[in-house]
Amino acid sequence: MTAVMNDKQRIENFILRSAFLIDNNQLDDWMACFDENSRYVVIPRENRDRNLPGALMHCDNKARLTDRIACLREANKINPHFDRHIISGSLISEIVDRVASVKTSFLVVQTNLYGDSKLFCAGCYEDKIALLDDDEKIVERYVVVDTFSVPTMLATPL
Amino acid sequence: MSNIWPREDFSRLQYRLYHDPEIYEQEHDKVFRGPTWSVLCLEAEIKNAGDFVVTHVGQIPIVVTRTKTGHVSAFVNRCAHRGAEIVREPYGNSPDFTCIYHAWCYSEDGDLLGVPFRRGANGKGGMPADFDLRQHGLTKLRVSVWKGIVFGTFSESVEPIEEYIGELMREHLGEIFNRPLRVLGYQRQRVNANWKLYLENVRDAYHGSLLHEFNRTFGLSRLTQVSGAYMDDKFRHSLLFQYAGSDNTAEARAAYAMDQVQRSEYLTLNDSDIIRFVKENPRGVTTRIVSLFPNAVVNQIYNCLALRKVRLYGPNEFEIIFTLFGYEDDDDAMTAHRVNQSNMVGPAGLISMEDAEALELVQRSTARDQAKYGVVEMGGVGPIKNLDTRVNEQPIRGFYSFYSQLMAAGQGGAQ
Repeated sequence: MTAVMNDKQRIENFILRSAFLIDNNQLDDWMACFDENSRYVVIPRENRDRNLPGALMHCDNKARLTDRIACLREANKINPHFDRHIISGSLISEIVDRVASVKTSFLVVQTNLYGDSKLFCAGCYEDKIALLDDDEKIVERYVVVDTFSVPTMLATPL
Repeated sequence: MSNIWPREDFSRLQYRLYHDPEIYEQEHDKVFRGPTWSVLCLEAEIKNAGDFVVTHVGQIPIVVTRTKTGHVSAFVNRCAHRGAEIVREPYGNSPDFTCIYHAWCYSEDGDLLGVPFRRGANGKGGMPADFDLRQHGLTKLRVSVWKGIVFGTFSESVEPIEEYIGELMREHLGEIFNRPLRVLGYQRQRVNANWKLYLENVRDAYHGSLLHEFNRTFGLSRLTQVSGAYMDDKFRHSLLFQYAGSDNTAEARAAYAMDQVQRSEYLTLNDSDIIRFVKENPRGVTTRIVSLFPNAVVNQIYNCLALRKVRLYGPNEFEIIFTLFGYEDDDDAMTAHRVNQSNMVGPAGLISMEDAEALELVQRSTARDQAKYGVVEMGGVGPIKNLDTRVNEQPIRGFYSFYSQLMAAGQGGAQ
């Protein structure tokens, strides 16, 4: 891709790329999308609306995110499945000091090993994304989950 | 139900228990409407006059309210007119409740206050002259509040709440519910399995470090530790407990390797705050899972505190609702610590995420051959006992010994 992208194209391409990394189970590359000082929180919409801090996944720093992925890989026994993210366009509310505040809706369809697909989650990424000279990094991602009655388990990050 | 128990000590559990629609129907009459107290909510969720929450006893929709006079009231969320659900929001604040269908209005206690056009319009229509509002209130539950936990019952004969909880669970819950609570949030997990499989799971002391490798790896719960599984004298409630640090990690790992549970390298953490235990109780117990018959669990896993309730959707589906809490006097650092440790519980919990998958595996594979049964012999057969070990499934047998008494009784339960 040689064409120069504007900020909106850069952001949308980055969010789409990070979602494909989850769907392709390239979670190390997915974690590389996060800044070293970043926060990743998956929070039920009911808690967000009531200003309650309790979450489904709450990684205040990147070490905690790294630990969670390591547990997923090496300790947790998860429901075998494939994920498929469907991503909306991104709504940019502001860009301050080259950090963009962005909201992006998503759906995740989960498919089991017998080819049975179900809507697993509807939600919204509320992101702060640093637009670096040659790269983009997530500084903060709140994944606000509409489908907060989680079917079976939430093992793979959203 | 006559021949459903192949052995008198409940060491055989027929798969029919998880599937039979008739059993599911009877459970509502004899367990949930029987001589039992169900946990409805926490007082901390309804602090102010007019506050309400929607909850469930089994599959029965319930509204719990804090009234103007400060008492707690509970009623079935079903209009006395045509059966419509009245309260549609999961929580809120309201002085009264009006059904949207025909605008019948009820008080915070569930009494019928008004029926629009009761006397008709233009001299025509309306209710019969002898229609008595007082005879058409909502179905009420008896409510008892114990240490900030709100319990409800349909039974007139069940013993008082303190007696129902029993001395042992009062002692342990009393250490957790010892000062005003602050709700930190909710987690909900939908499981395609029978609700009793979860009630078994929280009484199954054996699985904690086998299914949940996080426990085994970091020593939160290992079968080599000082631990146990106790019940009340009717075996209906249970306490699984654990003292982290009471075994030697190298020896524990050798024991798991010898039993071929794990041979590979163990994981390490970059940020070990998630397994930092701040001692908050006098006995220093690090993990407690207190199950209250028939619908609730309280967990203390290190400093992560949660009330878990089951909501039923049918014989093959239920939901676990986790209410995460701390204390009003927690400082910001302690609240952050509890929120961090809540990574261990719920549908994404590093410890608890696996439970739903395990239960669904049982539900799926037992749909046929319902006269066949599971085997529950860990920790011994025969008389049901409290044991100082988690290599033990006795509380599952305890659960069914009480459950079977309720199910064998006539309408309204065992008493």
